[in-house]
Amino acid sequence: MAVVDEKPLEDEDERALPPAEMMRLIEEQRAVAVRRLGGDPLMLYAPWGLAWLVGFGALFLHYGLSGEPYLPISYWTALTVLFIGMAVAAAVTAYAGWKSATHLRGVSQDRGMMYGLAWPAALIMVAAIALRFGRPENLPPQEIGLLWASLSILVVATLYMAGGALWREWPIFFIGVHLFVLNLVGLVAGPGWHALLTAVGGGGGFIVAGLLMRRRREWTGR
Amino acid sequence: MNAAPELPELDPVIHAPARLRVVVTLNALEEGDQIAFPGLREMLGMTAGNLSVHLSKLEDAGYVEIVKTHKGRTPVTYVALTRRGRAAFEEYTVAIRKLLEAAETGKD
Repeated sequence: MAVVDEKPLEDEDERALPPAEMMRLIEEQRAVAVRRLGGDPLMLYAPWGLAWLVGFGALFLHYGLSGEPYLPISYWTALTVLFIGMAVAAAVTAYAGWKSATHLRGVSQDRGMMYGLAWPAALIMVAAIALRFGRPENLPPQEIGLLWASLSILVVATLYMAGGALWREWPIFFIGVHLFVLNLVGLVAGPGWHALLTAVGGGGGFIVAGLLMRRRREWTGR
Repeated sequence: MNAAPELPELDPVIHAPARLRVVVTLNALEEGDQIAFPGLREMLGMTAGNLSVHLSKLEDAGYVEIVKTHKGRTPVTYVALTRRGRAAFEEYTVAIRKLLEAAETGKD
């Protein structure tokens, strides 16, 4: 690029080290690069895990498993807790994603942008469907809540499966499958069960997944 | 470490600690991605001048592609490994592994 004229480089830059040292250099620098480029998986998963654990946990306490609430939490209070948690999680993950991709351009940025936009698009559609059909004259209040929740988890599960395909990462795909199964079981079992499964299996599952992925990356450098 | 005192089969362009680190970092990018100069510099902890020198050597060898463009009004330089650069690094790691194996078996 000829920005700097030819000038003598420092000796240590040019002098080759023994093969074992060069190999160590490769491994160390690769680990640094992967960490910087990929971001911390725990930062991507734990905020959502916590938001779901607390938010759907509050919904579960509101519904109860047999139709009787376990704690006097109103539906709107539980929803507020859930939405505040999700807003914080969205901000944290957006920041983490921005930070790891800020110096990059090309294929991965295009892919991340399109995939990222699919989320709000799908969730807007969920809101449109749930508002249209989940009216008090059509459905009892608990069913309206389940309509919102199951449609939302459907979107999350599907986008995780698609994400697995995009990055060719089976763990991400299986998170999608896991959410898909929880959603189906919860839908059949009813609002209380759905909230419980989403809180523990979904929210708790995200936290575990984040920890496992961080560990895997420390071990394998991937 | 006295096996293989001469290492003629190792690509001299890559076989220097600083440039090896540059190539490893660029190789970690997905194919089709480019990284801005400051981001690369940050990951390597090199001075801008030093990195520029190494990049031009890699560019001369056809291993690195350097694209100068503008982001708004500020000029930005993007860097990526060429296909040839990726292949050269692949060959280099294979050669290093062979040397290490040779050194291991030579000890017995």
